[in-house]
Amino acid sequence: MTDIDSAKLLLESLYERHIGLTPPLGGAFLETASVCLSRHHFSPVEIQIACNGRRSARLVEFQRPDVRVLNAWANNIDTTESGAYGVCLAAVEVEEQLVAVRRAETLTGADWYVAPIGTEPDDLESCFRLEVSGLDAGGRAEVAARLRQKVEQTRRGASNLPAIASVVGFKEKSVAIQKVGDGG
Amino acid sequence: MTWAQLHADSERLAIEAQLAARARDMARAIDLYKRAGDLERQALDQLDVSKTRTRGITAVSAVALWFKAGEYALAEQLAHSMLADPHIPDFAREDLRSLVQGIWTESSKQKAGVAFVPGQVLVSVKGGEVVTGGAPLDLIVDNVQTIQAMFYRTIEYVNGVSHRRVGRPTKELQESCRPWLFQSAPGSYQFSVAIQKPAQPDFFKPAIEPERIAQHFLEIVSASSGEGTSVLEKLVPDENYRSTFLKLTRNLAPTGKTFDRIEFRGSGETRPVALGVESRVNINQQLRKKPPFPTTVGEVLEEFRGTLRAVHLDKDWLEVVVDSVSVHVEGLQDTVDDVIGPMVNRAVIVRAVRVSIKMLKFVDIELSD
Repeated sequence: MTDIDSAKLLLESLYERHIGLTPPLGGAFLETASVCLSRHHFSPVEIQIACNGRRSARLVEFQRPDVRVLNAWANNIDTTESGAYGVCLAAVEVEEQLVAVRRAETLTGADWYVAPIGTEPDDLESCFRLEVSGLDAGGRAEVAARLRQKVEQTRRGASNLPAIASVVGFKEKSVAIQKVGDGG
Repeated sequence: MTWAQLHADSERLAIEAQLAARARDMARAIDLYKRAGDLERQALDQLDVSKTRTRGITAVSAVALWFKAGEYALAEQLAHSMLADPHIPDFAREDLRSLVQGIWTESSKQKAGVAFVPGQVLVSVKGGEVVTGGAPLDLIVDNVQTIQAMFYRTIEYVNGVSHRRVGRPTKELQESCRPWLFQSAPGSYQFSVAIQKPAQPDFFKPAIEPERIAQHFLEIVSASSGEGTSVLEKLVPDENYRSTFLKLTRNLAPTGKTFDRIEFRGSGETRPVALGVESRVNINQQLRKKPPFPTTVGEVLEEFRGTLRAVHLDKDWLEVVVDSVSVHVEGLQDTVDDVIGPMVNRAVIVRAVRVSIKMLKFVDIELSD
């Protein structure tokens, strides 16, 4: 058992800290993260985080979803994607002191932009775009491979746009975060 | 009002629209997306030209919101005006081009007078003999046939149909979910594939979301070409279907002789699922993880490179001609029509185990050209 860092990974009330989220969307991230984690684990669970070369272990607590919640999030792929947003936003908050401040639409979904806690930027010039990916199954090697893939895609897709690539492995209980581009 | 205020209002409406779409309240989602797009357009007008990143991101966002609202004329007009702006950064330019492609295809689908399942797959074939906007006909015909076969298999799989070894899909499926090919703006050689919406509303089982077929197709291609087996095993637990998907994906993967890369993208997605020459190695590793049948001491695996001249799935044999000599191979096991059919009269690699002087037992076949 490794030493667990004092600050927890907080999935609850994300919208109160991440000013770009609304209560319904923050609630959806919490529910889906709980569904994804409860597929493999019981609360609380220790999550290993590798963030820009640093390693830490954080405790995360979640409610076991009831049948109603499980039925509402029966689509495995959408749920894993949404749950990954919940965990990755909580992870960049605790590790990098960054919170979601803005959202911008893309054709297939939306990108989130993060900035230091306490700032409310008037534009997106210095914000980081957050790239999120979730793996329901798979071990550490798969999480690392997905992060490499994400970093490569982010570099190709967004020249001169600072970004953070993040991958959560729900079964593996790990999160990998890496800054990409001229911000990192 | 400032950019920040207008963008914040647009964000709130876009989030509501996303949640409405998830709840399948499409009328409300479309109205919210339209209003969000209008506000994002106003936000864009507030930005100084020096705020290049913010302008690029906001422009893409406004076009995407109008696109989601079905406001194709507004979306296209704004996309073109922003593409003509020299201050728009490269990342936004790329996203805007993808959006324009999506707008053209959606507009063509509207004009076709046929309803389509939401979502489509854009296919790009690159490298080798392929030039911008042109490619050898046989290469494209082969790829189109295999993509059609994979779409039919995906629909059968998600709809719970038993694995089909011989023959084509049922007439009902072929008529109900006919794949359409749309021309796309040339980058390498590109086309897009959309699935016609079944006329009968209960064609798909209640739990099936038809709009996920294209996404499911992309996930299967991605998982088939990945390094590990766990993702595909989770996505497609049925072993027969998994084997067929792997072999169809291998048929699509380039050998490097006529083309180097084939990419698949969901509508408007800028990050493709790609198959390169190396993908065949990963697919073969997945296929060879489990031996096709138990072998005994003395049985030797042999490889034949030649032309596939004949296949008889019912009688369970194939013949490959190697240096003018016909080699007869038996025991085709789970080999299916849509995998092996397109290989007839093509250069192939056949692997088989010699169980006696006269008898070769089939292991695997793949295209070699």
